[in-house]
Amino acid sequence: MAETHVANTQLSVRDLTVRFPTTRGTVQAVNGVTFDLAKGASLGIVGESGSGKSVTAKTLMNLLPRTAEVSGDVIFEGEDVRQLAEQGREHFWGVKMTMVFQDPMTSLNPVKKCGEQIAETLRYHLKRDKKSALAEAEDLLEQVGIPEPGKRVDQYPHELSGGLRQRVVIAMALACEPSLLIADEPTTAVDVTVQKHLLDLLDTLRRDRGMSMILITHDLGVARGRCDEIAVMYAGRLVERAAPDTLFGDSRHPYTDALLRSIPRIDQPSHTRLEPIPGRPPELINPPEQCAYAPRCRFARPDCLESIPQISGVAGMHEFACFHPANTDRGREALADNLAQGRTAAGLDVTDLGGPS
Amino acid sequence: MKQFILRRVAQLVLVVFAVTFLTFASLNLVGDPLFNIVGVLSGIPDEQCEAVERGEISDTQSSGLNMGDCALIAQAKEQNNLDKNVVERYGIWLSDMVSGDFGTSFVNGDEISDIVRERLPVTIRLIVLAQIVALGIAIPWGVASAYRANRGFDKVSTVGSFGLLSIPNFALGVILLYFFALRWQIFPSRYENAGWWSELKALTLPALTLGLGLAATYQRLLRTDLITTLQEDFVHMARAKGMSDRHIMYRHALRPSMFSVITVFGVNTGALIGGALVVEQIFSIPGIGTELVEAVLRNDPPVVISLISVVAIGFVLINFFVDLMYGYLDPRVRTS
Repeated sequence: MAETHVANTQLSVRDLTVRFPTTRGTVQAVNGVTFDLAKGASLGIVGESGSGKSVTAKTLMNLLPRTAEVSGDVIFEGEDVRQLAEQGREHFWGVKMTMVFQDPMTSLNPVKKCGEQIAETLRYHLKRDKKSALAEAEDLLEQVGIPEPGKRVDQYPHELSGGLRQRVVIAMALACEPSLLIADEPTTAVDVTVQKHLLDLLDTLRRDRGMSMILITHDLGVARGRCDEIAVMYAGRLVERAAPDTLFGDSRHPYTDALLRSIPRIDQPSHTRLEPIPGRPPELINPPEQCAYAPRCRFARPDCLESIPQISGVAGMHEFACFHPANTDRGREALADNLAQGRTAAGLDVTDLGGPS
Repeated sequence: MKQFILRRVAQLVLVVFAVTFLTFASLNLVGDPLFNIVGVLSGIPDEQCEAVERGEISDTQSSGLNMGDCALIAQAKEQNNLDKNVVERYGIWLSDMVSGDFGTSFVNGDEISDIVRERLPVTIRLIVLAQIVALGIAIPWGVASAYRANRGFDKVSTVGSFGLLSIPNFALGVILLYFFALRWQIFPSRYENAGWWSELKALTLPALTLGLGLAATYQRLLRTDLITTLQEDFVHMARAKGMSDRHIMYRHALRPSMFSVITVFGVNTGALIGGALVVEQIFSIPGIGTELVEAVLRNDPPVVISLISVVAIGFVLINFFVDLMYGYLDPRVRTS
């Protein structure tokens, strides 16, 4: 799998597993996640809360709490990231690989001026002197589209709006010219009107700098159009991976399918009812040996409850982890059988076809 | 900001008025100031002196009066305005005080302003040194225990800090005195001042006595606040920026975690002055505490009132400074 595009692979994650021991049992936050990211490419990781997308990002950034048990390989530009973490390598995170967080209201230090916070990165990693670092910070603020950067460097975060603050955070992440930027829900906490601006900004910056990006979001719409590839996560596993057009036009995993149906679409007549996904996300403590989505899945057949479907398909093209994929004959058969019985193998009531599949 | 300072200064003046008036009134109403000046003669009833004045009593033998006694009483009353009521006397005292005239001791006639000038700097140096000791110990200690909260070091230091908190000042002072001054003779056991170095050495043990307990208090507060701050997103952000743990602790987390410490710093300065009173006795330091105790024991109200006023003003000023510190610690306070 990995051999297919070794040449320009920047990040390669193999069988990444993260567990958190708690008093109630071990939380299986990430289970065997495998993906590659080419240089300059962008990958969208989509999933609901608790799907393991943020934990995956934090593993890459070495931000997990000490109690986390991690296994699997993370290779970034030929270096073993987990080994670097153990060695306590300096000037790697924040320089080559950086991250932008969800909430700009809280991710800036309230007691430091914006300029100082950006300059700090430059001074810490690149040993710039204070004056040139501040000048560079001003320059960066301009690059991320902040008006009057000369004034903003001397302002405190609380004096800026959420959108501007997120731009400051982005400027901070870009300061040392990273080759990979991980954006963890970068627009979730800002106004909808600002969201598009920020996403476009990230996209432009990425292209201009030839930087790779992992965009983590719970919103499929956000990932579409800005990512070369989208990976859908559910209950700590990658369940489907494809280019955006493939994913939106010809999804295979019933979860992706259901997600797409729950988004309002402009080509549908108004007042079309959205279809919510029944049930709730699964417990990640001691999950049963079955497809994690089966209890909420309209396609679930007895075999879904017997083993965990592994992700397979053509790497870099379309991969999915399902025994009865949607938009295929196997899926249609499964749905027809479930309709005939009135319920799925996991006991979910199925009474109608639920759209055109 | 300007308005904020003005408002605080107005409050400050009010507090100083209240404190000085209450001290003045209580020391004038409890006990008889006249007794402190003229002694047993204050027991002579007013009527008797009036009778002497009218010439009704001339037989000094039978009345037990000395002819000069009444004149002496009248002079004492006049000089110290004792025939006026408390509020008037307070007014006179206050206007003298403001113009720098602290009055004189009833007992030995010393100028109180001289006493203050001589004694206050010693106490200030002691308290400043104690606070430096306390913060110097508490900050690295608090950082170290918050860094790996509830692990080995933190658990041991919890025991240690509660231990320090429960030792009273006087006991700690005597223990330090025994080991460092008597047994190992590293520091002098009595105050001496032959240049700043010898004074610093002489003040080290007293400052430790005052500072160690305080360090434990600060450490507890700083640890708790730091643990909270370390959960903040901007700390994760700093970590994602690749900063070392030490850099994050001291450059990012420490300043926003200093609120409780600074508050208690201000409040504790009062307690520290009280503590200095005891510690000055143990180490024979000629500070304001020692003088205050002596003044109380020798029944010298003008000295007691003046010293308490000086201490109260100092306390209010420090807390004013603490309020300004909040603005420094968190820029959001400045604008609101």
